[in-house]
Amino acid sequence: MSDNIERYPDYIKRVVVADDDCLQRTYISSILKKLGYDPYEADNGICALKLLRDHNAQILICDLDMPGLNGINLARRIRSDPGELYVHILMVTGRNQSEERERALDAGIDDFMAKPVDTASLTARIRSVKRLLLHEKRLAEREDKLRLAKERIESDLNDAANAQRRMLPDQHIRIGQCEFHSAMMASNILAGDMFAYFEIDPGILGFYAIDVAGHGIHASLMSVALGHMLSAEFFRQWAIDKDGDPDPAALVRFLNKKFFRDDSTDYFTMFCGVLDQSRNELHFCQGGYPSAIITGPAGVCTSLGQGGFPVALLTQAEFENQKTYFPPDHFMVLVSDGALEAEDPSGQPFDDDGVKNIITARAHDPASIPDRIIEALSEWRGGSPLDDDLTVVVCERIQA
Amino acid sequence: MIKIKHVADSQICVIDPITDRLTAANATSFKDEVWQLIDKGEYRLVIDLTGVAFVDSSAIGALVGILKRLGNRGEIVVCGLSGSVDKMFRITRMDRVFPTYPNSAEAAAALSERL
Repeated sequence: MSDNIERYPDYIKRVVVADDDCLQRTYISSILKKLGYDPYEADNGICALKLLRDHNAQILICDLDMPGLNGINLARRIRSDPGELYVHILMVTGRNQSEERERALDAGIDDFMAKPVDTASLTARIRSVKRLLLHEKRLAEREDKLRLAKERIESDLNDAANAQRRMLPDQHIRIGQCEFHSAMMASNILAGDMFAYFEIDPGILGFYAIDVAGHGIHASLMSVALGHMLSAEFFRQWAIDKDGDPDPAALVRFLNKKFFRDDSTDYFTMFCGVLDQSRNELHFCQGGYPSAIITGPAGVCTSLGQGGFPVALLTQAEFENQKTYFPPDHFMVLVSDGALEAEDPSGQPFDDDGVKNIITARAHDPASIPDRIIEALSEWRGGSPLDDDLTVVVCERIQA
Repeated sequence: MIKIKHVADSQICVIDPITDRLTAANATSFKDEVWQLIDKGEYRLVIDLTGVAFVDSSAIGALVGILKRLGNRGEIVVCGLSGSVDKMFRITRMDRVFPTYPNSAEAAAALSERL
């Protein structure tokens, strides 16, 4: 035979030989030594168990009949404590012990040899075990490679997610005469949601919330691209017309043109607003994003907008400006459809009512609304993670 | 995943996605199957969403993908919108992109009138 055991790792060569018959034990050991293996001898089951553990051996040759712990009980003990390594057990039985063989198979014996043990049959069986061990080794190496690759990918994704999160505004931030409060939760590591707010001109604020269709890496790349593009400068350029009047629809129209592709259906929904603080006017364009909700101190919720085309989905989509009165002491809430569509274990969506109930109950403390919605959704989902990314943005107008 | 039914004496094909949820999990394979139908020459399509209780943004993307594939070769309408599906169509204005009908019979009748 050409296969030389010498070139294999040591653990493959370790064999525990358990037999109370000294002659039989020495005989088997001498054959193993000739084959290049390292036999460790045990005259009883308990001693065999100890040798297996002490030497991390993966091959056991044992006699069926031994005082104390016999071969079958020894096998049961080994199988009841599955460590990282699988122990291959060869059992030596008498020619007339066929019933015991059945029980031995049940107990976890892998193969048998009949007494008297001869060199040829032991060699054949030990080689078969060696093939299995080498196969296991290859599988373990492959698993290690996959695990390392997975760890690397996850670490990269976490870095990307952190970079993405750093693009978002602080959870509570004051801009002009507004307090903004927010929360974002990704359904995966990376999110397809993005939002921001800034002062465009003195007294004029711009804000947006975006939800890229789909989730994961693909959606997050687009959301990050949009996050970099949509700056105060960009709003100044595209969301204010040449007479200086707010025109958020023009900005959305520009994005629709820029991101539309004939050969793709990647798109996003967007709520884009320009707030004129001195006039208490909110100008907005709804690009398929759920309607914003405006609430006063009494907690009465009013939905803004009847809908609108998503962005980058259809080249001929029209986008319009809408305007509403948004005075101090009122606040506006934007919630992505990740909240509205979140289902409880019976399949009931959280819906507008779920969101509005929280807004009404927390009208005295708008700053607490984003976290409260996240908390309520987690209860609603019964602990199972969200299917979609979730964004909550609250814009609270305060008295000058 | 889809089930198709041809309306007698017409070139109208009614497509049932056979799922109660058209989402990121199955929208692409749904789109691919309808694309195959279009490539085989089915140009008058009714997408019957009677049995669909929930669609997400990927489903909307898939429907528009089907519309783009069809181009001006024919017509595609949808029917059987209910609850959250109807709401999704209104919020995203898809009800202005796809003619919608209460059921497949009315959708097919409207399509055959325009033949």
